[in-house]
Amino acid sequence: MSPNEITEEELLQRVARGDSRAFDELYDRLSPRLYGLLRQMLHDERDAQDVLQDGFVQLWDHAASYDPSRAKAFTWAVMIFRNKAIDRMRALGRRTRLVEAASLEHATLGDGDSLPGADEDVQARERAEIVRSALQQLPAEQRKLVELAFLKGLTHHTISETLDMPLGTVKTNIRRGLMRLRELLKGGRDGGAI
Amino acid sequence: MEERFEELAALSAFGMLEGDEKRTLDGVIIRDRALKELCAELEDTAALLAGAVSPITPPANLKGRIRSKIRSRRSGGATYSSGGSSFWTFTGWAAAAAFAASSAWLWMEREKLQTNLQASTAEISVEVEKAQKAASEQREGLEKQIAALNGEIASLQKRDALAQMRIATLQTTVEGYKQGVAVVVWDSEKHQGVLKLEKMPPVQVGKDYQLWVVDPKQPVPVDAGIVRVDSTGFAKVDFKPVTEVTDASKFALSVEKEGGVPKGEGPIVLIGP
Repeated sequence: MSPNEITEEELLQRVARGDSRAFDELYDRLSPRLYGLLRQMLHDERDAQDVLQDGFVQLWDHAASYDPSRAKAFTWAVMIFRNKAIDRMRALGRRTRLVEAASLEHATLGDGDSLPGADEDVQARERAEIVRSALQQLPAEQRKLVELAFLKGLTHHTISETLDMPLGTVKTNIRRGLMRLRELLKGGRDGGAI
Repeated sequence: MEERFEELAALSAFGMLEGDEKRTLDGVIIRDRALKELCAELEDTAALLAGAVSPITPPANLKGRIRSKIRSRRSGGATYSSGGSSFWTFTGWAAAAAFAASSAWLWMEREKLQTNLQASTAEISVEVEKAQKAASEQREGLEKQIAALNGEIASLQKRDALAQMRIATLQTTVEGYKQGVAVVVWDSEKHQGVLKLEKMPPVQVGKDYQLWVVDPKQPVPVDAGIVRVDSTGFAKVDFKPVTEVTDASKFALSVEKEGGVPKGEGPIVLIGP
């Protein structure tokens, strides 16, 4: 079996057994997407690299806790790296700046730094297109709040205060937006594209 | 499902919940399987949003830095090595060393436990032996006490029995009977007795010896039965007066008509005490 035929889930399970080659292969497959995410979240190259490094060390340490029956390897990895990015934002005290409306305006998925580029292979491009398409189908307000929640790790209370939006409206839009995305992305996920 | 819980599940998927809201959701999830599944699905959906971000290749040296960091760490996770074969070699030797060390430690622990167990067993055996010996001595002591008490009881019973017994020797003033010996053993408890006669002269034909018990509370001597001696003048008979005697003060032997009489008629030949 060639490395490309091995799924990310299998690689992660091999990492759990201390397989350094599997770790290298998994790094090669996941790091571009995760680094792109971290750059989008942190808006700082150096911070993104630090978090990527810490995240992969944690992935090596905790690979044994991964359960393939509960989540895809990429989903599991995103949770680790996103949480680390949020911790980094909070630790750097960037939260105050991030809640500024101007900063929040840049908290969007699929534009700015994340425009499709040379680093994006065909599969990743298709994957990104499916998610972007699903996001585009959401009402503007729902999409905005979902993007803020995902990229900035802000609480609904903070978003409500910053955007001067009723708390109930924030919560309702996040709920409706995420539930709708769940329906929209189900096909792609079940089909194995995501 | 309530919208309120859907809302909490959505906020949780983004890691937005804090304090009471988080506690509420955690509490409900325990008993609501559908909500638990929804939370998992929404977390999955939230993670998929990362797919909307275009990938960016990290700096080339970053992978090396991560390898170095993992290698430099000694605790937590698996041991990392950059080379495939050397990695396995190192991992193998490390595992073997760890196994050997843990085996040695386990062996020493086992030895220690076995020694402790033996010592404890020996101590317990000594204690059990002591307890058994003490119990045996105690039992022997009790058996001796019981034997002594039984002896005492027997002695008391014997003494009591003797106390209830009266022995009376009957005397005579009648010539021809002076050779005769008559002894009565009377049990005042049972109101009966034994009469023993020796060297008594035979009675005439149509006559019998008859024994009487004299009780001061009775108007006349009480009949205690006839006594027949053999050719040597010997007789030993158990007797019981025909009516109850409360105070046998004297015993008398008379010669009466054959078969005896209810009330004494003939001469008294022996009397006592």
